[in-house]
Amino acid sequence: MADLIELDRLVVRFGDVTAVDGVSLTVREGELLMLLGGSGSGKTTTLECINALVTPTEGVVRLRGEDVRSLPPHALRRRIGYCFQGVGLFPHLTVAENVGITPELLGWDEARVRARVEALLARVALPIEEYGDRLPDALSGGQRQRVGVARALAAEPEVVLFDEPFGALDPITREQLQAELRTLKEDLGLTSVFVTHDVLEALTLGDRIAVLREGRLLQVGTPPELAEAPADPYVTALLEAPRRALDRLS
Amino acid sequence: MSVDWPRLGELMLAHLRLSLWALLLGAAISLPLGVAAARRPALERAALAVASVIQTIPGLALLAIMVPALAALGAFGLELPSIGALPAVLGLTLYSLLPMLRNTVVGIAEVDESVKRAALGVGMTPGQRLRRVELPLAAPVIVAGLRTATVWTVGMATLATPVGASSLGDLIFGGLQTRDHGAVLAGCLGSAALALALDGLIRAAELGARTRRPRLWAPAAAALGALCLYALASPLAGLAGGERPLRVGAKPFTEQYVLAELVAQRAGAPTEVMRSLGSNVAFEALAAGDLDLYVEYTGTVWTALMGREDRAPREALNAEVEAWLRDEHDVVVVARLGFENAYALAVRSPEDGGPRITRISELAPLAPSMEVGGDYELFGRGEWRSLEERYGLRFEAQRTMDPTLLYEAIDAGQVDVIGAYTTDGRVAAYDLRVLEDDRDAIPPYDAVLIANGAFARGRPALIARLRTLEGRIDDDAMRAMNRAVDVDGETPARAAARHR
Repeated sequence: MADLIELDRLVVRFGDVTAVDGVSLTVREGELLMLLGGSGSGKTTTLECINALVTPTEGVVRLRGEDVRSLPPHALRRRIGYCFQGVGLFPHLTVAENVGITPELLGWDEARVRARVEALLARVALPIEEYGDRLPDALSGGQRQRVGVARALAAEPEVVLFDEPFGALDPITREQLQAELRTLKEDLGLTSVFVTHDVLEALTLGDRIAVLREGRLLQVGTPPELAEAPADPYVTALLEAPRRALDRLS
Repeated sequence: MSVDWPRLGELMLAHLRLSLWALLLGAAISLPLGVAAARRPALERAALAVASVIQTIPGLALLAIMVPALAALGAFGLELPSIGALPAVLGLTLYSLLPMLRNTVVGIAEVDESVKRAALGVGMTPGQRLRRVELPLAAPVIVAGLRTATVWTVGMATLATPVGASSLGDLIFGGLQTRDHGAVLAGCLGSAALALALDGLIRAAELGARTRRPRLWAPAAAALGALCLYALASPLAGLAGGERPLRVGAKPFTEQYVLAELVAQRAGAPTEVMRSLGSNVAFEALAAGDLDLYVEYTGTVWTALMGREDRAPREALNAEVEAWLRDEHDVVVVARLGFENAYALAVRSPEDGGPRITRISELAPLAPSMEVGGDYELFGRGEWRSLEERYGLRFEAQRTMDPTLLYEAIDAGQVDVIGAYTTDGRVAAYDLRVLEDDRDAIPPYDAVLIANGAFARGRPALIARLRTLEGRIDDDAMRAMNRAVDVDGETPARAAARHR
């Protein structure tokens, strides 16, 4: 698999605080890469370097070999889907308008936007006939998050960034959406980077997992690789947690 | 007390034009400034501080201050009319800034952080984020600011009258002066109706747009658009340049209204009478060429304009005033009208419970237990200091009030002495006794028609016609005309027309 995104020795400092400290990482075409870490691990900052919401102090982010800083930020972001915990649906736009926003910004014609929105809303189980004209206020939390996912996918992005998108949902809804995301990824051959602090979510969803702590990348690997050869005691401890929880069930 | 409907309609339209001009200019300044300030905290603080300070200036003062400010621009070669619609609109514009500016800044700042992040995330440029997300979401707050500004501005526009712009204030100021309560009420109700109508239209347009109901917002927006176009089609500069009518000023009291009409009738040329110019506004406007003619009083020039506190015999004083006007301001005395309207102290007559005195020197021992009422100028003028010094006058209390209320106040016994005008028809109507100035504290107040020098040289025939007013109005004639308006309810124009 080819490398779609390359993070090359990224450093991000906010004043005296070093949020990301020399992270190098690649995202392969078609994979779902998890960025796993606690709060202050630099996982979100690392993610936001990819769509230029954060500008790295040092280092380079390359999308298909091209330095992302060579593109105007808005043009870059139209190639990258983005879905985050707050969702940030535009409250004055209908569900259909929210989903169709990036294609519209890209200048797709109306019929193509409409067809794309209809297909995506069907995929996330919010048929356009019923939900298309609703305003976000009229949706439940899970439905809003689904619209957020659909919006992130709308412009056929090369990669989709997820920043704890399901963090605020109840466990049942979350599991349902995780399963749907997994299916979407398989069906569409989606490349995505997914930030989470939840080990179970990382293990459930990720093709590979990158473990971050205090701005440093500790280890990258598939779930079995991490389990068999943890490179750091923190990684070991992290993987122990779900096991201990399971033990208490048996 | 009958309503002059055509005049009311005319004034409402003039009022609407002033208000809309000011609101459109105010919006054109405060909306972009608010958007810029929403992203720059330093600019936000500075802009809001300035707008707040402007807001603390009393409305009348803010408008009046525009007159000398515009006249001062003349010194830099920028010749703008310093009275009329321009100073009124500028003052109102400044006044309208704060609510629109503040609500724009707050409206944008209050847009949810996650929505702003999403706007960038989906690939909007900063401009698209502003237009497609921030402004639409801030719109209800911004429109609320616009509505506040609208109500304030329409209300404040009544204060355009004293700087020489026609508005519903003409009815209020004129009505207060001539005790025409119907006119005052019509002015107030007209202004309130305009404010409510504009506010309602804006509200309907905003609500309709937000709830996507074209049948609500389309007609409201169309009506607002038509009104704005109508207002803008009457350019402010229309008052400047070109062949303009003769402009005769009148300070805010009955006698001045009557005399302005009389001058207009005698001039025999198209004339615009600019009523209710504040006292100093009139002189500055005349000197700057924004007014052609008005009637001034020599004692006022001596004390208020020249700042003199000494006294001179009548002829010497008048000659000195005339020379000063000509040399310092290129202002010409066209005619001395023949009457004097001096400040005087008046008391109730003994039959109405007043003191049994005829001279100011007899008043001095009684003063410490009396209250004195004066108009806005009296207690700040040189004559008052001179009265205090020459007679040793010390009153228990001094009360400043509108000249129209002075007579009611003394009649009702709320004050014991008032500063009156000797030609005021109400002195006789209220049966007041004018006290003799037996120590010459008050200078002569001969009424003189004065003209801008350049204007006078350019219109010799007209000036010649006006010179025939020389000595034509004596004290009794003036008092009769004032009385016809103040007491009998005549219009100033008809009272003037009767004088031949």
